[in-house]
Amino acid sequence: MAFVGRFALDGSAGLRPVAHRALRAFTSIVLVLAAFSTIAGAQSLQRLTVTQLTLTADTMTPHIEVPFHLIVTAHVRERISELDNLDLPILAELELLGDEHVLVTQRGGTTYRETITVVAHHSGAITIAPVTLDATNALNGKNYRYSSNSLTLHVLGPAAAIAAAGDAWQGLRSLLSALLRLALILAGLAGTILLVAVLIRRRPPPVPVVTLAPAVPVARDPRATLREALAALQRDHSRAGAMRARHVVRRMVGATDAETLADVLRRPLAGDRQLRDLLRALERAGFTYDADLPAALAAALTQLERMTR
Amino acid sequence: MNERTGPAIVTRALERTIVGQEGVIEGLLLGLLCNGHVLLEGPPGLAKTLACRSLADALHGEFKRIQFTPDLLPSDIVGTRIFDQRESAFTTVRGPIFANVVLADEINRAPAKVQSALLEAMQERQVTIGPQTHALPDPFIVMATMNPLDSEGTYALPVAQMDRFLIKIDVGYPSRAQELAILERYAIADAPILAPVATLEAVREWRTLAHNVHLDEALKRYIVELVIITREAQHPAIDFGASPRATLAIANLARAKALLEQRDYAVPDDVRGVAPLALRHRIGFNFRVSNEGGSTRVLEDLIARVPVP
Repeated sequence: MAFVGRFALDGSAGLRPVAHRALRAFTSIVLVLAAFSTIAGAQSLQRLTVTQLTLTADTMTPHIEVPFHLIVTAHVRERISELDNLDLPILAELELLGDEHVLVTQRGGTTYRETITVVAHHSGAITIAPVTLDATNALNGKNYRYSSNSLTLHVLGPAAAIAAAGDAWQGLRSLLSALLRLALILAGLAGTILLVAVLIRRRPPPVPVVTLAPAVPVARDPRATLREALAALQRDHSRAGAMRARHVVRRMVGATDAETLADVLRRPLAGDRQLRDLLRALERAGFTYDADLPAALAAALTQLERMTR
Repeated sequence: MNERTGPAIVTRALERTIVGQEGVIEGLLLGLLCNGHVLLEGPPGLAKTLACRSLADALHGEFKRIQFTPDLLPSDIVGTRIFDQRESAFTTVRGPIFANVVLADEINRAPAKVQSALLEAMQERQVTIGPQTHALPDPFIVMATMNPLDSEGTYALPVAQMDRFLIKIDVGYPSRAQELAILERYAIADAPILAPVATLEAVREWRTLAHNVHLDEALKRYIVELVIITREAQHPAIDFGASPRATLAIANLARAKALLEQRDYAVPDDVRGVAPLALRHRIGFNFRVSNEGGSTRVLEDLIARVPVP
């Protein structure tokens, strides 16, 4: 497709009408053939594990009439000699100057890198559509259209004009900056002298230094926590009460909301056999069926009382 | 019910034949108790077929194995009608699907119409041969295997057909110690043929027991949250989340898991333990999943985000 486009662009300018018609007919045939090959390609896509498909530019703020590069990078796990069905976006607002690609096959797969040299003729924002790659996912055998990121470039005015304007502004800015630095140094000196004078006049008498003992961390007695859980269960002798008691005991052993009983029992604080039995009893009281609930609550209460004794 | 009379007796029997692979053994038992079908995915040589064969041996049931190949026809699975010249009438020849445990080896090697014939039988639990509809035996469990490494010449199962499987088990490599045990056990002798330890009637009873296991309201809400997070998490590696069929599957599997643990009520550990089995093949993972550490890691991450009741 790129070959056809370039041929038509370069060759049409100096041709006579007959040759021009012949060229158009040839172009149409090639386009039709290309369309058929696309359909055929869609039926038998490459089986790939695509891990990367990106579109980048070597500058996001190119200048008018200064060539720059768009870079398409794709990485696949497979070792391939060609990457089919890679569709580049239409670069309507840019002129295409050149296009080259390399395919590097290594142990970890194949990296495809295409460098497109372009130039902009107008300033302003340009959005380049994503690059797409049609392939069959080698992991699940399904056909996918992989899509890269899009790219928005801000084309600036001519580089020379910007540089000249930049030089004048730079000179003014450095003068202002030097003046400001001098003013700040003078103000700092004056402030320091004033502060020293004030301190000499009002110096307080020396205060004796008192060394305090290091603070002793206050650890909550586990029995107090268990008594709290026991009280919760005695107050509310129901499944909800059991769940509250379970919550208190789980917090005591440092369990988080994402942990199940199996996780909690693996915690070092839950190493005690009685505590493990209590956790299991509370789990049963929390989730057992209604007919078993009174027995489960009684078992949990017994465990709690045994541990708070 | 105890270890001698419950489903644990089958687990013990399978553990005598298969070294390690506790997850596979538990998955097969869960499938049996929930009356669901099991999909096993893993590289060759990891005792997938042996596990299925051993389960059939451990039950007083009929076992059939179908090796899926590209030239297989639906009639090779469900059966066909042939003309008997002596009787001058058509007689029905039943296919290998008429068994209690059917092993569909390398299911993704057969074309879609054959897969559909099997999956339709799995769903309907009956097949139609000519004008007659034949009910499949009860219990009827299909264990299908897939090899994720060879993707050439395979027909990936569509999402709708994957959904027919109650669980998908990812079969992993054994540890060093397990590999050594395999070497010592099977270097000379072949895997022994198990003596049946349970009747089909017992399996039906266990299924009823599993169905009656209590699932608390808090656990039902937990299950719903686990499924909904797969749809609402906006995870970059997920295209679509699990269906309500996953919710039902997790609930049934949690009940069966509780029964395997000899409890008549389910706890959060049961739900969290079975959730990956029911969700893995019902979530649409995209190509970014490999960057996120694989589907198992993504799933673990999502499950850890849901607070345990």
